[in-house]
Amino acid sequence: MATRAMTPPARAQAVDRSVARLFEAFDHVPVAAVIRHAEDLPRALASQVPAIFFVRAPAFHLGPLVWAVQARGKMAFVHIDLIAGLGKDRAGIAFLAREIGVNGIITSHSGLVAAARAERVIAVQRLLLYDDLGLRSAMAAVEHARPDIVEVQPAVIFPLVAEQIRARHPVPIIVGGFVTEPHQRQAALERGARAVSTSTVSLWP
Amino acid sequence: MRTPGLFGAMLPAIRDSNTLHQALDLGYRQLLVERGSLLAMVGPLAAAARQGVAIFVNLDAVEGLAADSAALAFVATDLGFSGVLSVKPHILKDASRFRLRTIQRIHALDSTGLETGLNSIGQPAPYAIAIAPAVAIPQVMPIIRDSTNVPVWGTGFVTSAAQAAAVLAAGADVVASAELELWREFRDARIDD
Repeated sequence: MATRAMTPPARAQAVDRSVARLFEAFDHVPVAAVIRHAEDLPRALASQVPAIFFVRAPAFHLGPLVWAVQARGKMAFVHIDLIAGLGKDRAGIAFLAREIGVNGIITSHSGLVAAARAERVIAVQRLLLYDDLGLRSAMAAVEHARPDIVEVQPAVIFPLVAEQIRARHPVPIIVGGFVTEPHQRQAALERGARAVSTSTVSLWP
Repeated sequence: MRTPGLFGAMLPAIRDSNTLHQALDLGYRQLLVERGSLLAMVGPLAAAARQGVAIFVNLDAVEGLAADSAALAFVATDLGFSGVLSVKPHILKDASRFRLRTIQRIHALDSTGLETGLNSIGQPAPYAIAIAPAVAIPQVMPIIRDSTNVPVWGTGFVTSAAQAAAVLAAGADVVASAELELWREFRDARIDD
């Protein structure tokens, strides 16, 4: 198990710097654009969002998309659990980190969080909160994996669990899942989310 | 033998024989075994089923059962349960052979996942789909209705009467909750079918 204490200081510093840079940008524009359909990417690139989440694109065609994101000064994150064609394992993470050079990896699996941390990319752990059993196992998973960022889904659950999560984990929280209206984005931010992730194009500033 | 169907909109979610008896004492004739060890409460559950209580079991979360044909045969034939819930379409397909009502569980966590879940609905069509968390239903019902007309159940994170009412008002047929207080509040509003 990789923990912060066991991670080489160089790695921790490099990733901590990019996390800090990301949240500085989120303080101005607290939105990450989730790309569900490739045709939405140009809109995301032209928007002011500091981060773009790829949740569906086939892994082996991701390179040019990720590089286009980075050429705009934005960070590119890939959801490894959902991406087609890539093993959900260390080799899959290494491919995304080394060959493509993603800024971060999104996963709900603790083992992959550890692998992402070892590869010096930002590790976002998605908490899938479908019921209170899911909440309990998610909290344990975060404790174990020590991600750089936690993403809570769906957004409608966040007000119900915000205190509980923050009391146990001082990790920055992003909220996503069915954020389709400005008031939902606002509600999440007011409850302490540092950013929302959304595929709703009209919510990308 | 025809197993009993639904008796109303509130489905008490139980996890042990203690909560089982609380629901029965309140007069509920339908239950969801949401988690816990099914085998630890198998006696009282079978007795309730014999008396016509409709029992549904979440095969993904309950302990002590494998997700296979032998477990389905046990649940259907030996215990006389009414139906099973699972995220796995192949288990539901198998369950329909045992004349169990099949409820496809679908996680409503984000649009991508919901779409995948709705696309996984198999043949024969399930008796219902169970959306988790239920509190997302007011938001996602239009997306669901774009793709299927089967009855919708809501499970997960329902702890207040206001949440339950919002889920039903959005068009859900059934809402499950593990809150005893909520069972009490709904008891008087129960509709028999």
